[in-house]
Amino acid sequence: MKQIIRITVGLTISCLIAALVMGSVFVITDKAKRHNEHVNVQQTMLGLLGYSTSHPAPPELKLYSIYRYIFTDGNVNTLGYVLPVLKGGGVGYQLMEMDLDGGFVAQHPLDLAPEDASESAERSAALRKAIKPPKTFSYADATIVAKLGEKRLAYLLPGEFPGFKTFIHVMLALDPSFEILGLEITEQEEDPGLGAEIKQDYFKNQFKGKSFKKIKELHVVKEPLPEEYKAYLESQKGKESPIPKAELDVIRSRYQDRDIYALTGATISSKAVTDGVKNMVAKFAYRINRLDKVISARNIPAVF
Amino acid sequence: MPATTKTNFQLVSNGILNENPIFRLALSMCPAVGISTTVMNGLMLGIAVLFVQVFSSCTIAAIKNYIHPRIRIPTYTLTIATWVTVIDLVLAAYVPAAYKEMGIFVKLIVAFAIITMRLETFACKNTVSASFWDGIGMGFGFMFGMVALGFVRELLGMGTLLGYDVLGFRPLLFFVLPAAGFFCVGIMMAVFNYVEIVYNRKKRAR
Repeated sequence: MKQIIRITVGLTISCLIAALVMGSVFVITDKAKRHNEHVNVQQTMLGLLGYSTSHPAPPELKLYSIYRYIFTDGNVNTLGYVLPVLKGGGVGYQLMEMDLDGGFVAQHPLDLAPEDASESAERSAALRKAIKPPKTFSYADATIVAKLGEKRLAYLLPGEFPGFKTFIHVMLALDPSFEILGLEITEQEEDPGLGAEIKQDYFKNQFKGKSFKKIKELHVVKEPLPEEYKAYLESQKGKESPIPKAELDVIRSRYQDRDIYALTGATISSKAVTDGVKNMVAKFAYRINRLDKVISARNIPAVF
Repeated sequence: MPATTKTNFQLVSNGILNENPIFRLALSMCPAVGISTTVMNGLMLGIAVLFVQVFSSCTIAAIKNYIHPRIRIPTYTLTIATWVTVIDLVLAAYVPAAYKEMGIFVKLIVAFAIITMRLETFACKNTVSASFWDGIGMGFGFMFGMVALGFVRELLGMGTLLGYDVLGFRPLLFFVLPAAGFFCVGIMMAVFNYVEIVYNRKKRAR
């Protein structure tokens, strides 16, 4: 009995010490960690729009986030969009509710400052104040609209889909006509040397420049990647390439409407990314069209 | 095993050669087979293991007199898990560039046999400084094994080294696949043992 008590006490104390150490380190590092993640996401987004440290983004470039929520009231589902709107000269947020057929349901003002909007806890608190109790909400996804001056430059879609092993997280950039501007793999755990090659330029850049029409019927082909196309894809990072520009344009037009060349030994990963991207683009195009329709019909002063 | 009488240098070289975690002790085979597909992967995992091993060894050596012998294994696991979490968080917060490369490897380490085994057979019987040097030796030994495997597999599997194209073609994609890990580990283990046998025979003949 004495043994048991000693062991229990000993284990409890060691667990408490370990928890204390881990907890305090977490508290100390949490802020810096989140800051890093934020910077990382910002960099990915700007990178997809073609900006880098040597070619910085102009000050007129504004990124607005739209958050989509699903509201449940009994067995009725509606969609809730947290939209950035003009509010007293600045930017505020507003909740717009829409039914599943794209009809307008209601709009509520939100008590949400623009700098807090990226924190999911702050958003939830604001939403809880705006909607009545029997209705519950769950977060669906976010879209970032990049605006240069008055015109929409691009849509940035963070998304995830199942890969060969776990979820692949990506960031996709679309221009206003839903042509792909770029694809970035932000997180993946595919097999190194095989599926992990999806993050290489010669795979992900194949998506660049695919038109909306082509995306709808995009397939994966199990053919070796042609050498000239590979050289072209790897030259896409603003780096100086040995191939003259005129030749690059020829290669681009030649492969513009081709399907995606699968990675050697990683057809499933290649297919997963292709299907995932296809899905994201199709769903997004449908949603944003409906959203725009409601916004213009209701004269919501949306800033994006 | 009584407290060690080896010098610091012997402790380090012991980890790298005589008791190399991968080729002699045959511990932590999962990462050796699974992760060592490229030199870079091997190096990253090696660095991560080095840190966790050194920190955990020192911690256990420092608190060895307070650990109840019946709960030593849970305590080891807790210590390793704590250090892994701390290193993970600190890297994520202050060295984001390194975290981007090493993040997934650091989280893998909790379950590595080599670290627990070193705590059980060495750190809990020796002083902090001896454990420190043993941790360094084991860490570098593991790193050496991983990099050696990664070198062979990356070169033969993808024709590259550290991402740079050296061969210009892919000799045998098979080497990148997990199954080839077993072959590579086995063959390199045999080479390692053979070299040692030859070396010892020469020493005896002298």
